[in-house]
Amino acid sequence: MTTSAILQAINGTSLAALLFLVASGFTVTFGLMRVVNMAYGAYYLLGGYVGLSIVQATGSFALGIVGGGVAIVILGYVVDRFLIRYTGENHLAQVLLTVGIAFVIGDVALKIWGGDSLKVPVPVALRGAMELPGGLVYPTYRFVMIVFSLAVAGTLWLLYTRTQIGAVVRAGVDDREQVSATGINVDRLFVVVSALASFLVGMAGVVGGAFLTLYPGAEWEILIVALVVVIVGGLGSLGGAMVGALVVGWLDAYGRWLLPEFSYFVLFGPMAVLLLFRPRGIAGKEA
Amino acid sequence: MSTAVEVTGLVKEFGGLRAVDGVSLSVPAGERRVLIGPNGAGKTTLFHCVTGTLAPTAGRVTLFGRDVTALPEHRRTALGMGRTFQISNVIAGLTCAENVVLAALGTDRRKWLLHRPVAALDDVRRAAHASLELVGLGPRAADAVRALSYGERRQLELALALTARPRVLFLDEPCAGLSPSERARISRMIDDLPRDLTLLMIEHDMDVALGLADRVTVLHRGRVILEGAPGEVQANPEVREVYFGHV
Amino acid sequence: MTPGRLAAAAVVLVAAVLLPQVAGPFWMGLVTQMIVFGLLALSVDLLLGHAGLFSICHGSFFAVAAYTTAILQVRHAVPTALAAPAGLVAGTLLGLVFGLAVRTRGVYFILITIAFGYVVWGMAHRWSSFTGGDNGVTNVPFPAVGGLRITSDTEYYYLALVVAGLVALGYRRLIRSPFGLALRGIKGSESRMRTLGYDSNRHLYAAFVLSAALASLAGVLYVYANRFVNPVAASFPVSVEAALMAIVGGTGTIVGPFIGSAIILGLRNWVSSFFELYAAVMGGVFIVAVLWVPEGLVGLAARLRGRAPHA
Repeated sequence: MTTSAILQAINGTSLAALLFLVASGFTVTFGLMRVVNMAYGAYYLLGGYVGLSIVQATGSFALGIVGGGVAIVILGYVVDRFLIRYTGENHLAQVLLTVGIAFVIGDVALKIWGGDSLKVPVPVALRGAMELPGGLVYPTYRFVMIVFSLAVAGTLWLLYTRTQIGAVVRAGVDDREQVSATGINVDRLFVVVSALASFLVGMAGVVGGAFLTLYPGAEWEILIVALVVVIVGGLGSLGGAMVGALVVGWLDAYGRWLLPEFSYFVLFGPMAVLLLFRPRGIAGKEA
Repeated sequence: MSTAVEVTGLVKEFGGLRAVDGVSLSVPAGERRVLIGPNGAGKTTLFHCVTGTLAPTAGRVTLFGRDVTALPEHRRTALGMGRTFQISNVIAGLTCAENVVLAALGTDRRKWLLHRPVAALDDVRRAAHASLELVGLGPRAADAVRALSYGERRQLELALALTARPRVLFLDEPCAGLSPSERARISRMIDDLPRDLTLLMIEHDMDVALGLADRVTVLHRGRVILEGAPGEVQANPEVREVYFGHV
Repeated sequence: MTPGRLAAAAVVLVAAVLLPQVAGPFWMGLVTQMIVFGLLALSVDLLLGHAGLFSICHGSFFAVAAYTTAILQVRHAVPTALAAPAGLVAGTLLGLVFGLAVRTRGVYFILITIAFGYVVWGMAHRWSSFTGGDNGVTNVPFPAVGGLRITSDTEYYYLALVVAGLVALGYRRLIRSPFGLALRGIKGSESRMRTLGYDSNRHLYAAFVLSAALASLAGVLYVYANRFVNPVAASFPVSVEAALMAIVGGTGTIVGPFIGSAIILGLRNWVSSFFELYAAVMGGVFIVAVLWVPEGLVGLAARLRGRAPHA
């Protein structure tokens, strides 16, 4: 029984690893630019599909990851520049607009890649299972994904807390007027941060597509879970996204294991609790 | 004579900053008290804490003898508190009449009616119109708030605060941003208010302040540095320094 | 009501009554759907157009009411007289729970309602032993109360018309009441309303529960119109579209949501007949609506005529 429990903990952590990649971009984009982008789920799916096609064509998983990320950087830029920019800080308009964009992306993806569940081929070196201390056997790929995500999280955290750019972004998340007053080109900063967020979510699609599979509808499922992460962790907080991802990842894993029919209800729990006691999330800034 | 407002040891901290640093004051019923002080002295923050918009970090607030420190602001209104905001805060998207009707219903149980039209509540409509007439906005009753000039919004702001017949009125820089004639008009309106209405006013303009006040409290850096009759305060050298000493 | 409006209403009423004879079963069925979703859009608009809250979980109340009524009628042979009110109550009870969301504002509120909506969808989808999973609940009979039985789609159409008419009248009273004005006050300036003595959270909670009740009514009408329900009814697209209908038709009005419903459903019907990627087209409609017609068709029409719209 305990082996299963530990197994679920690792499952939860591997899901958290993926969720963090998706949620971190969403939360920092909101914190800095006050933009709610509901197309993030569609970005994940499309990035995954593009990565899949690249892997199928070239045989290289690394190329797939980069390709998926880059594809979304480009798409994200176009969407920001030509559509989202016109919504100002009107969150209602942003939600509707980006939902519309997600519908378009989803439908086009359906036309191109079809309705079957597709899996991104795992690189040969990472196939199979590995033995963990304690005699536990776990799929190598998922374990490596946790390590990878930790590396990404670590890098992001360092960038965020130790570099000048990071300091500016943090200041921007707290007060945008402050940022423009320092003489930094705010527009360019937004483009860079947005591009990084897009790259992360596109890459997440490829990484996730190797063990969760890609299919029509997946864009909404991943978005909703990422939203819960962001609500729990607080909009605008990178650290909150990390904590939120772990909380949600673990709840999802244990929920699916113990109460499969009510697993969505398990997601509901922390949110309801949060609403009762801390409506702003664990570390959120003013909405 | 009863005390309308009593503030004891009020502190309000934001992060590391103490906007209000241990303020105590006592305003007897019927008095007209003006708070003056340079920008950043903590006047508006103090108001927010007394009216319930913000929760104080420490200290006590009583309204007519009742401890309201923990009472939410909408309940303080029911006890007779009325206030205006420094930056015009009238209800967008509605007409002037609708604004004052809402003010009239704020402390009335009929605000919860789901099935009778507002238009049928004659006494409320009459009270609302009387409020508008009082501040000189009678002819503008049916106009949308967005059509009002800044001065007219200040007038509406005052009407909103007065409609529910408050016992104590908190005015935060009622003349801010107004032309001299508008300023004179609002001053006169305030002066004409019934004498049994307790008034607490933040005012930046010394002339207006000293003209209306029974007593003046001077705030600087979150603390009370002087309290006294208008003439006393005006002549005090420390006050002159605080006001005119630094630009 | 102005004479012009009265005339327009009369024309619409006559057209609606004559529709089955003139246009045939397909159009009648489509208009029935427009009425049902118009009611759902109206429920969303009570919050959006009047209280300023953008809720994207109303499909949940809609679906819970539909499922409750369907399961009671189909599996437990409960008569309409009990099954329909039960559905209404079930959806409203869920509204009491989801109403917790009004403790938040702005973008948090939107995101939380989205998440809540997904919980219901997920349960409809995964709890197959109870909800029938993706197949849902089928073979729901026509409603029958005492001696009155609906025996055809045409009769149901008229029933839906009558219900919608009654709801519209009740809704009109509600938004003209002190409560309705208070909601608009909170939308205009919550801080001001609080200092005027209004407990804004309580008002918003009441509005939320009322709108959930209205969405539940739409759900009950839906399940008898379609004679089945599946998880799609609780899905995110349904909730978002309800909001879009209100926006396209004109928020803050009574007819706006119905007009929006007619446009969106009509458009989808038309486009899907010749274009495979119609979901993309609907997405395009969202984009266009947001960028170019923010105040909806009713607002646009009023603007063209030179005055602000009022209910």
